Amino acid sequence: MSPRPSTAHVRRPAILSAAAEVISERGVQNTRISDVAERAGTSAPGVLYWFPSKDELLAEALQFSDDRFYFSLTGELAALDSATERLTRLVELWPAEGDGEAVLWIELWVRALRDPRLAEIRERLDRRWRTTLADVVREGQASGEFADADADDVALLLGAVMDGFAIQLALGDPAVTADAVQRHCLGLAEARLLR
Amino acid sequence: MSRERILGAAVERIASDGIDAVRIARIAMDAGVSTALVHYHFATREALLAEALAYSFELAGDTRTVATGEAPAAQRLRDMIEQCLPLPGVQERDWVLWVELWLRAVRHPELRPTAAHLYSRMHDWLREAIEAGIDTGEFSPCDAGRVADRVLALIDGFGVRALLDDPAVPLERAREEVWDALARDLGLAPALARE
Repeated sequence: MSPRPSTAHVRRPAILSAAAEVISERGVQNTRISDVAERAGTSAPGVLYWFPSKDELLAEALQFSDDRFYFSLTGELAALDSATERLTRLVELWPAEGDGEAVLWIELWVRALRDPRLAEIRERLDRRWRTTLADVVREGQASGEFADADADDVALLLGAVMDGFAIQLALGDPAVTADAVQRHCLGLAEARLLR
Repeated sequence: MSRERILGAAVERIASDGIDAVRIARIAMDAGVSTALVHYHFATREALLAEALAYSFELAGDTRTVATGEAPAAQRLRDMIEQCLPLPGVQERDWVLWVELWLRAVRHPELRPTAAHLYSRMHDWLREAIEAGIDTGEFSPCDAGRVADRVLALIDGFGVRALLDDPAVPLERAREEVWDALARDLGLAPALARE
């Protein structure tokens, strides 16, 4: 078979996008390479060429999903006028609007427990999120909207509480609504940043 | 009782191997029973996980009912938080089960009542301790239920990071952060002087 570099180049994002979808729907355990191949419109060898294992596929799919998220987030945040609005938007996006996403993150956590490579990836993606939060906090401090506080500490706190609530939302706990979660998270941010 | 032996063996195996990798035959061997008996007691892996987790929680139940009246309410709450963190040993093992349960419950709706029930118990346990402190005047009046919601989310968010050996969140940090947030809600001097 002759090499087809151009189609291989096009296929990788398509495969990752398909993988993110299928894994989100079925879970890593129940995702077969052939499922992903079918969704992506390629063959199983075509998937395996890029991703020799399912764990690799999960890690890359998450990275891909994440990159896509930040790509659209950057534009969205830039269109907002104040740090307050940007922070509010971030809190709205996760966990409340992150319904389908939460399961992917929990998959990563479970696997990171036993796979150091995935633990490293989880850590990197988490740091990225916390940096995004911390940057907005700093912008607000520079503009006078927010009080003095360690931006990284506030980012860690918000990141943790949002993840905790994301789990409860994903579990479909009737006692927990997306609305209540947002109010909790914003309340915590306000308590730390508004005086 | 063979059912208890099976559950005991299941708890250890799920925690060490993960529910996906767990082999019923291995659990049976560890418990000194036949695989047929395990299948007799537990129809599915999910049922086994749910019951193993509930079993583990029941065992820990005695230590979770902290003696009332003796210690100040604040100390009781600190002790309670301590019991909810992934301390090395039994608590860490239970945390692994907890995270596996999140994933399974998100994917298998029949497990959600189990997860909801466990959260509800934890929530009531914390809420009652908070209310007790408000009653004695040790804590400022607050919406105990709402505060308990947030503490649970913080325990999960910081707990999972500590469990995953996140460099930013060693166990001490998780402990401090959860207590600091709770202390502020209760009108106590924050443990961490940041501002």
